[in-house]
Amino acid sequence: MKAYHGRILRIDLTSGKSSVRTIDERYVRKYLGGQGFAVELVYHGMPEGADALAPENVLAMAGGLFAGFPVPTGGKTAFAAKSPLTGTLVESIMGGVIGAELRHAGYDALEITGRAESPSYIFIDDDSAEIEDASSLWGKSTREVPELLKKDLGWDVKIACIGVAGEKLVRFACIDCEERQAGRGGLGAVMASKNLKAIAIRGTKDLEPADPKKLLELALRYQDIMENAPSFKEDTVYGTGEFLGWINKEKGVFPTRNWQSGVFDSREKIDPYYWAPKYVSKNKACFACTKPCGKLFEIDSGKFAGVAIDGLEYETLYSLGSACGNASIESAARGNEICDVFGMDTISAGVAIGFAMELVQRGILTEEEAGMRLTFDNAEDAVPQMLELIGKREGLGDILADGVKRAAERIGKGAERYAMHTKGMEPPAYDVRGMKGHGLAYMTSTRGACHLRAGFYAPELVGKFWRWEGIDRQSPEGKGAMVAVMENFMCVYDSVGLCKFSRGFFLIDKLSEVIEAITGLSFTEDELLEIGERIHNMKGHFNHREGVTRNDWLLPPRVLEDPIPDGPSEGSLITSEQMNKMLDDYMAARKWSADGEPSPDKLKELDLT
Amino acid sequence: MVKMLVPYPDRCTGCRFCEMACSLFHEGKVNHADARLQVYKKDVRTDFPSVCTHCVACGEDCCVHACPVEAIKIEDDLVRIDEDECTACGACVDACPFGVMRMEETAFKCDLCGGDPTCVKFCPMGAIKYEEPDAAQYEKVRQFLEGEGA
Repeated sequence: MKAYHGRILRIDLTSGKSSVRTIDERYVRKYLGGQGFAVELVYHGMPEGADALAPENVLAMAGGLFAGFPVPTGGKTAFAAKSPLTGTLVESIMGGVIGAELRHAGYDALEITGRAESPSYIFIDDDSAEIEDASSLWGKSTREVPELLKKDLGWDVKIACIGVAGEKLVRFACIDCEERQAGRGGLGAVMASKNLKAIAIRGTKDLEPADPKKLLELALRYQDIMENAPSFKEDTVYGTGEFLGWINKEKGVFPTRNWQSGVFDSREKIDPYYWAPKYVSKNKACFACTKPCGKLFEIDSGKFAGVAIDGLEYETLYSLGSACGNASIESAARGNEICDVFGMDTISAGVAIGFAMELVQRGILTEEEAGMRLTFDNAEDAVPQMLELIGKREGLGDILADGVKRAAERIGKGAERYAMHTKGMEPPAYDVRGMKGHGLAYMTSTRGACHLRAGFYAPELVGKFWRWEGIDRQSPEGKGAMVAVMENFMCVYDSVGLCKFSRGFFLIDKLSEVIEAITGLSFTEDELLEIGERIHNMKGHFNHREGVTRNDWLLPPRVLEDPIPDGPSEGSLITSEQMNKMLDDYMAARKWSADGEPSPDKLKELDLT
Repeated sequence: MVKMLVPYPDRCTGCRFCEMACSLFHEGKVNHADARLQVYKKDVRTDFPSVCTHCVACGEDCCVHACPVEAIKIEDDLVRIDEDECTACGACVDACPFGVMRMEETAFKCDLCGGDPTCVKFCPMGAIKYEEPDAAQYEKVRQFLEGEGA
């Protein structure tokens, strides 16, 4: 078996000891890499019932199977742990180089347990792994930490770190590596709970593929396919927000003002067709991506002069834009920068602010309690101000830093009615009232409302994908089985470490050839999808074990009761009956109980008992 | 004029695909230290594909002049290293303003993959081009190197 080292590095921060666990071909055939490895480590490693912020939580990291090899868009790294936001197993995938660097240091995955006595960082320098003092780094931003550490350790060292939001245990704090984030579910707070400020890695070992010539040939083939696809120009000029106008105007499912509308009337001002020519000075890419959707966005004059970010992504155009009624792209960009520097998820942070704005609108919160004029029409100023308060956990920011579910419980007075989440996770930028299957996917996603665990927005908005044609986005029929198999598909993607924007180029059957050129191991399409199913079942089983029940899965009241009031999807909602039918279909397709517990037969079939 | 590798930092995204492809092409394995070019990344604004330009930074062939045993020569407009003569003293590595002169048992560097450079094929953004040098672009590169001290 080529490409793997057969070694997982385990570091216990409580005892300060590290050890190496060996893995063999059987392990690889079972879990593949990336998300598969990271989820396995948390699933089997964390004692039942541990709090997400307790030393017993396991923080795992692994580069995908392709990470470190030249496969176009295939450089992703997976992090996983129990989430302090949702109480579920959360995995978050980033385009940073840290997972590939770990492989160059000679490890297939990293497992971190325990809690250091004082602020620390881990320095993995090939075979040496040391826990070092980080007291001088505590309080520093995600941009300062790498700079300070590289000065000490060398420019070639790669750094993943947390910012102040992590230190303050903001429940949606993220982990940053070179302006790329493992954004969702509060993995940054898990790191901070372990007194771990950063992970620094220098790897100088070779990665040897089974068939170098074949791998180069495949890389060139897929590179050419991607470069010649129509989406290449759109992605490289306008980034992921390219289809914002289409989602908003043609489909009417662009959630606005905390989901009070599906159409943002000031769409033009946050649309990349407006801002890219004005503010983008160059393209930025994830590690190993030859199809860059990242943008260097710089503002050199006006109220927000000095902003320089790698963004804004489609999701952030919603969360810091339409969700807060914010028509100022400059303000959203500044907000994006605050989130990056403090180290927090732009989606959860923005949705939390939009939620608070609606509470002010309805008189549930006063402006006094908010500490500012927290209204949709004052979003330009309020969004960046409130983001700083969340990052520092000051004032109302301290309440919003726990996510909308906990914030609503704390505020009371019926605030729950306006809290948008499933399993405690704030939803991304697709109004699922007009996309039934994607609504199901928000519920079934093991980390709470997510557009990427099944990626079901694409089949429903386009009407076809992979095995399906003629998909009706307004129909709940057949969506249970489709979402289940798409989740398995995406688990494979996150395990090989491919970008999901490549899923139209590399369907699962295309992956086998690349995997074989790298590892020498052959997998059929069905074998790969079974690995995906195994990974998803581990997450589902973990969640059920940790007390997540059907009630936590359900869609928020607004999706079930308030139809989209205007635009192309006017009148759309998901009825309670449709919701439960889709859930039942899904559970049946998975062979899970109504509460989401995998059946013993299913676990046995997947060799998980 | 002869064709050379010309870097366009404004177009470089910092993905480092070129490093991996270069290493895989020449060595059959991936190691960024084996790559004949490096992407220099300092902050969110800076991605600089550091390629062998033979040699515009100082207007002369630094590595050739630095070598105390005359193991580096220009032949057919390409910098060539005589591995038998090379003593691995590292003077050329220190002298190269682009950081593309590498050292293991002997010095080694970009050989343009025999006239069809792999890095260029894998850069759809056009941040590395194999072309006759353009004076204005070279001036930009020279200014960048002076500013960054790379």
